[in-house]
Amino acid sequence: MYPYILYFSVLFYAFALVWGLGFAPADYVQGNSFRIIYLHVPASFLSQSLYIVMAIAAGIFLIWKVKLAAYMIKSIAPVGALVTFIALISGSIWGIPTWGTWWQWDARITSTLILFIMYLGLISLHSSFTNFEKADKFISVLVLIGFVNIPIIKKSVDWWSTLHQPASITLTNKPSIDPTMLYPLIFSMIGFSGIIVSLIILSSKVHIFKRESHKSWVKRNV
Amino acid sequence: MNNLRRKRLLSVVALVFTSFLGVFLILKALNSNLDYFYTPSEMINIEIPDKKRVKLGGMVQEDSVKRNGTNISFKITDFNHSIDVSYNGVVPDLFKEGSGIVAYGLIVDEILIAEDIFAKHDENYMPPTIEISKK
Amino acid sequence: MFNFAFDNLNSFFYMDGHGIYVWSVFFIVIISTSLMFIFYKNELRKIRKKIIDE
Repeated sequence: MYPYILYFSVLFYAFALVWGLGFAPADYVQGNSFRIIYLHVPASFLSQSLYIVMAIAAGIFLIWKVKLAAYMIKSIAPVGALVTFIALISGSIWGIPTWGTWWQWDARITSTLILFIMYLGLISLHSSFTNFEKADKFISVLVLIGFVNIPIIKKSVDWWSTLHQPASITLTNKPSIDPTMLYPLIFSMIGFSGIIVSLIILSSKVHIFKRESHKSWVKRNV
Repeated sequence: MNNLRRKRLLSVVALVFTSFLGVFLILKALNSNLDYFYTPSEMINIEIPDKKRVKLGGMVQEDSVKRNGTNISFKITDFNHSIDVSYNGVVPDLFKEGSGIVAYGLIVDEILIAEDIFAKHDENYMPPTIEISKK
Repeated sequence: MFNFAFDNLNSFFYMDGHGIYVWSVFFIVIISTSLMFIFYKNELRKIRKKIIDE
């Protein structure tokens, strides 16, 4: 199943990017630099959603001791770090032509940097344990403690004054982005999410094979 | 759900609740220190220590921009109060009258001598043709 | 909505001076994501080999 999700998502994402970068109109204030939105927003969206998935997995692992949930945390963390890295760097580059700066310590940017550091911390912590079962438990507790950062990132632009603007797409209001620019954005979010989901399927295969390599079902499936 | 699982569920809920409570208390204590800039109305009401650089954010007031060589002066307003800003250098492309702006620098004689100017942009995105037809 | 927003391919790459920002982000996204795929593909191959060898 994995290669089909990947191929389909790559096609979908490529279509969305051609649409967004080549066919969507330029913005009335930002001109063509606004096209970075088609790369920045999908990554930022995933940097937060992947953490939410990790937190749910952490809860499932701690309550029901489902081993697969612990593997999910480990498989998602590096991918989460990747998309957060993309969100930060694309935001920085976008900041140069629009804000006139590539880095400012406002609440949105700083809380996203903290998210990136948290992903890195989870990756390095896991490899520092020799006892896997202890590591899984400890990491799950940390993931749940760090979950508080997600609503902070989300609401930072409303609670404090920031250089970053408030959200253009919300659940409650009409999007403040023109439909001709919104549709390719939604497509790029779906496409990029599909690519990232297939990356997580791949990384979880690696982790499951590593941890269960002595089991007979793994040997059969290799 | 057996007893052990219920116990674990409770500890997970307690864990998340404690971390939320702790962090939100910290944020409440820090409150306005986490703001990126002051608005003109806020700035008028606070005591700023000498030689402390501040960030002032708001709109560039209409008809207030004066250019003199590389020097540019204008007012930043939140539509209640406005503060004079003077800046020597290149302003960002998005700088124009009526657009969002953040100026960073020292206040000298009630004028903000800016060392850096950052443009803010809002959450609205639209093609230029629609913007014209809306006017 | 489906008209090419640029006059020709050159202006598509140049984007009124903003091309450098847009395309550098584009390549960072493509390259970093691909590198991660390659990394995990390699890991998977190594583990498969190890399990088969045992």
